[in-house]
Amino acid sequence: MAKVRSKVQSRVRSKAPRAGHATKRAPQRGNGSPKRKPSAAADDTPSQSRALVKAASGLRVRMYRVGFGDFFLLSVPSKAGASHILIDCGVHARDLGSMRDAVTEMAKDCNNHLSLVIMTHRHADHISGFGSCSDIFAQIAVDRVWMPWFENPSDKKAAAFQTSLAAMAAHLGQQFRARLAAQLDGATQEMLAMAENITGGLGAAGVSANEKALKVLREGFKTQPAHDYYKAGDVAKLPPDLEAAGLTAQILGPPIDDALIVQMINKNQQYLSGAVEDQDSSEPVKPFPDAFRATDEAYGSEAFALYGPDQIIRMIEGAQPDALAAQAVAADKTLNNQSLVILFSFGGKNLLFAGDAQWGNWENFLYGGAYGTPGHTKLTQKAADILSKIDFYKVGHHGSANATPRDAVMAMRIGCVGMCSTQEHAYNQVPREPLLDALRKRMNDQLARSDQIAVSDDEQANPDAGTLPSAFTAPTHKLFIDYNF
Amino acid sequence: MSNRARFRCDEVSEQRRLPAAPSLQPQESPPRAAPPRTEPPIDIYTSTDIPQPSIRPLNVYAFDPSLGNFVGNQMVTQVAYEPLSLGPVGERFAVVDYDGGQRTFYKPVDLDDPRLLMSGGLPPSEADPRFHQQMVYAVASETLQRFEYALGRRVRWRTRLGDGKPRAPKGASRRLNLFPHAMCEANAFYSPEAHGILFGYFRASRSNPGRNLPGQTVFTCLSHDIIVHETTHAIVDGIREYFMEPTNVDVAAFHEAFADLSALFLHFSHKEVLVDTLQKTGGRLFDFKLKSETDVASGSAPVIQSQIGAENPLIALATQFGEAAGRQCSLRSALTTPPTPQGAKELATKTEPHERGSILVAAMFDAYFTTYSRRTFDLFRIFRAGGGNLDKSDLPAPLANRLAIEASRTAEEFFTLCARALDYCPPVDITFGDFLRALLTAHLDYTPDDPDHIRDALMQAFRLRGIVVEGAMSFSEDALFWPKISNGRLRVPGLVFGDPNGLTKEEKDRNGDVLRTYAAENADLLGFDRRTGEIAAPSFHPMFHTGKNGKLYVTMVVELVQTMRIPFGHGIPGTFPMRNGVTLLIAQDPPEHDELPEPRVRFVIPKLYKPEREERIRNFYIASGMATEVRAQAGADDDSRFRLNFALLHAGV
Repeated sequence: MAKVRSKVQSRVRSKAPRAGHATKRAPQRGNGSPKRKPSAAADDTPSQSRALVKAASGLRVRMYRVGFGDFFLLSVPSKAGASHILIDCGVHARDLGSMRDAVTEMAKDCNNHLSLVIMTHRHADHISGFGSCSDIFAQIAVDRVWMPWFENPSDKKAAAFQTSLAAMAAHLGQQFRARLAAQLDGATQEMLAMAENITGGLGAAGVSANEKALKVLREGFKTQPAHDYYKAGDVAKLPPDLEAAGLTAQILGPPIDDALIVQMINKNQQYLSGAVEDQDSSEPVKPFPDAFRATDEAYGSEAFALYGPDQIIRMIEGAQPDALAAQAVAADKTLNNQSLVILFSFGGKNLLFAGDAQWGNWENFLYGGAYGTPGHTKLTQKAADILSKIDFYKVGHHGSANATPRDAVMAMRIGCVGMCSTQEHAYNQVPREPLLDALRKRMNDQLARSDQIAVSDDEQANPDAGTLPSAFTAPTHKLFIDYNF
Repeated sequence: MSNRARFRCDEVSEQRRLPAAPSLQPQESPPRAAPPRTEPPIDIYTSTDIPQPSIRPLNVYAFDPSLGNFVGNQMVTQVAYEPLSLGPVGERFAVVDYDGGQRTFYKPVDLDDPRLLMSGGLPPSEADPRFHQQMVYAVASETLQRFEYALGRRVRWRTRLGDGKPRAPKGASRRLNLFPHAMCEANAFYSPEAHGILFGYFRASRSNPGRNLPGQTVFTCLSHDIIVHETTHAIVDGIREYFMEPTNVDVAAFHEAFADLSALFLHFSHKEVLVDTLQKTGGRLFDFKLKSETDVASGSAPVIQSQIGAENPLIALATQFGEAAGRQCSLRSALTTPPTPQGAKELATKTEPHERGSILVAAMFDAYFTTYSRRTFDLFRIFRAGGGNLDKSDLPAPLANRLAIEASRTAEEFFTLCARALDYCPPVDITFGDFLRALLTAHLDYTPDDPDHIRDALMQAFRLRGIVVEGAMSFSEDALFWPKISNGRLRVPGLVFGDPNGLTKEEKDRNGDVLRTYAAENADLLGFDRRTGEIAAPSFHPMFHTGKNGKLYVTMVVELVQTMRIPFGHGIPGTFPMRNGVTLLIAQDPPEHDELPEPRVRFVIPKLYKPEREERIRNFYIASGMATEVRAQAGADDDSRFRLNFALLHAGV
């Protein structure tokens, strides 16, 4: 399949098209009958090569509006009419309550058969739907499931790591909850959301919601699918119907980072351990017997010559959340970086789904190593090639600034289109407007946000999000947005 | 030089004692109290005063409590004597034991209690917070003393918290806070905002406790390495104001590596710790010596890393250290990665500060082991010539002792070298390559002759790990030394060097004016673009040291820094500070013909404006999320976001 891709790519000329005009029309004209073979289509700019458009016609990306979470359905024209790929299904912060409707809609849409299910990473905002709608998924036949290599149950190190990460997050969640009970503040709420995104929050039976969702992904479908665990560079195995249809997939992330895992597990033995322990006992560690307790009067005046006792208490107590927050942020980032990054190609069209990949994941893909070290200050040729040819980009991490590096934006083909699942006020500065603006510039304004349409008749579109760009359609005017190639 | 001998020279004079102290030492008051007025003959040759002690012995753990029954884990550290009030609170450190988790103070230790003075303080104990206070004080003080000894001057703590923020209170530059039980958290970090180091404690896992007992409380303030590590962060931050700004991928890694190096070398300079290890595993060390002897003796490239297996006790110590500190697990892999072209790739792929830092640590250790091998080579030959058996696994005690002496002497030397190199680094935007140049130049400056080829060992060790030097013509000694300013070409008239014990307020003010004027007038010569911003002199430190030839050298390290505000552009609001700077090393030569020559600039160590640098820093800030990260209630142009946060750097994950 690599052969097909390179054939297509090698013919692409770099002449920049006036694509604003072109992309607008492309999806509307996509239904004509194909006249030329995809490989013969030299240029991937729609206005100059109508044939290519035809080759990809019928290809559709559907984004469901569920709140702050990813839920995408990629439909590929195949012998049977269409084969479907589900990419993530979850919502976390700012749940709009539309998950059930959306999953029902999706099940109908795919006629209870998904050729491929992809879980980019195990954050609740990408998988919660599998758990909360497990009954619907139990009716859906699935041929294959892709997950990042971190989920491979036979990789002991990865499994241990995921377990400790989840345990730590659970503990952090508890601490943030306790803190919120004492005093409500926005920063802590955000931290709590981060921590609980890892676990999904605790369910009734003490099983975290994410565990439940993962269980569905492993064994909760109508048929028992084959599972693949991928890392960057792996050769992706597609189900036969998709392969026959001419779809190819390239795995660009997550990078394999064994050393990091080992290191984190080692740390776990020494350091994480503190945070991991004692989910049952909520009382804080009491380091010393009461006999050692004292007040500031036990000290001489010299001790407080610079900072008074009140000041010291304030400084120390002010420093407490920092450490917890640091853990939450680090854990959040770690998990985001586990994201599968996949490049699909079909009929000369390239679609990049980056999950929530953050810097560490991108860095490997973009620069081939640590950014800023000798030989790694520019995009690799491969990354530049890929980005310069993409037609569709699923905006990473709901439009947050840390998930789409500027260099990546600058390298994207002018005139590609993007979809961003997001919901305001879940986290500070997500979505990040300057990033979206930069993307829009690249995409000639063809960037769809999930909150540009209504959820249901009660919950309308977000007026600040603007109107749905013309390249996209919303057939039912609510719940989902389509992009037809 | 042993600690004991070293500290004898800085005895505390009577006048400098703190007022609170005398009452705590009743045995000293009678002689001063009332000499009988009626006896006229004054004997100026005899003193009945009790001699001022120069050191205070204090019990500490050599590693941490989890190595309880490990011989050599408990040791006595020699801290310079000073009267202490409850806390302990001394001149340089104030230990204040407030527990943020339990919201309570703990009883402070009184180290001047006669019973504790007799016994070297409290015996090591996990259960008594007062021992924790004692250990934190002792280890932090020892670390600071080593640095001050190496630098030849007082280290001051950071007092400036950023533009527009209130400065730390007066006197804060002298005294740093230590909070041994600040939080219930598996973390310990230096915080400029709290003007101190916060140590956490936490409960070890019940299911997976590592070396600890399941469910036991683990105290970070009882780990020798963690204390040294954090104290070093504070010291470096005090010396170099702008090293906290992570403007490139090396900066955070440099902080971690430097702190690790100082902790490791401090360990190794404790002979007591080494003897035991050397003796126990002597055979294996000996084996290693045999194998490597020819290579190392020929003075060729140090290939130490590939030669030593994990069995080497020194390596074992180093990695054990990594595990104890909990977050330096990558040290093991760095130390055992062969310095081959493949190994050199590590530098290009590791960005996590600890991982990246461990490459620098490994390079330094390579040089250290090489030097150590060269120095002990003869001992092994003597041992064998005298009929010593090479196959026996035990090393004779005297040989182990001699080896330990060499190892600890070399460790002290390397520690000193690292500390001195700080003064030879550019004031901003440090890279590993800059540090190498600083190390080499500092070594050349202080010890021009180099019988054991330490410079060569350093250079090769760095080269083999792919650490390159930006802008150097070649990877040779001459090209790597910072260029010397030709004699007398640059002079700074009016600069005063003051008394070796410190500058007065007037002298400081005067020097500040002199330097700013000098910088403004000579901006072009130094490489600044005067139009882009004012040039500030954030620090100047006179230093005095005696050269090997017995001459007294008087120098001053000066930082000149220019800050430009540069907009991010690319649709990102706000600006970032782009700092250009030079470090000047200025010498005051002795008087000629009864006249003091004008101070002479010896080195100009630059990090100046280049469009590439601007682009690199901008990209790095954007890439690492600092450009957009707007902390609560802080303005968009608050520069504190461009500063390393050690709480984040050291957090459990």
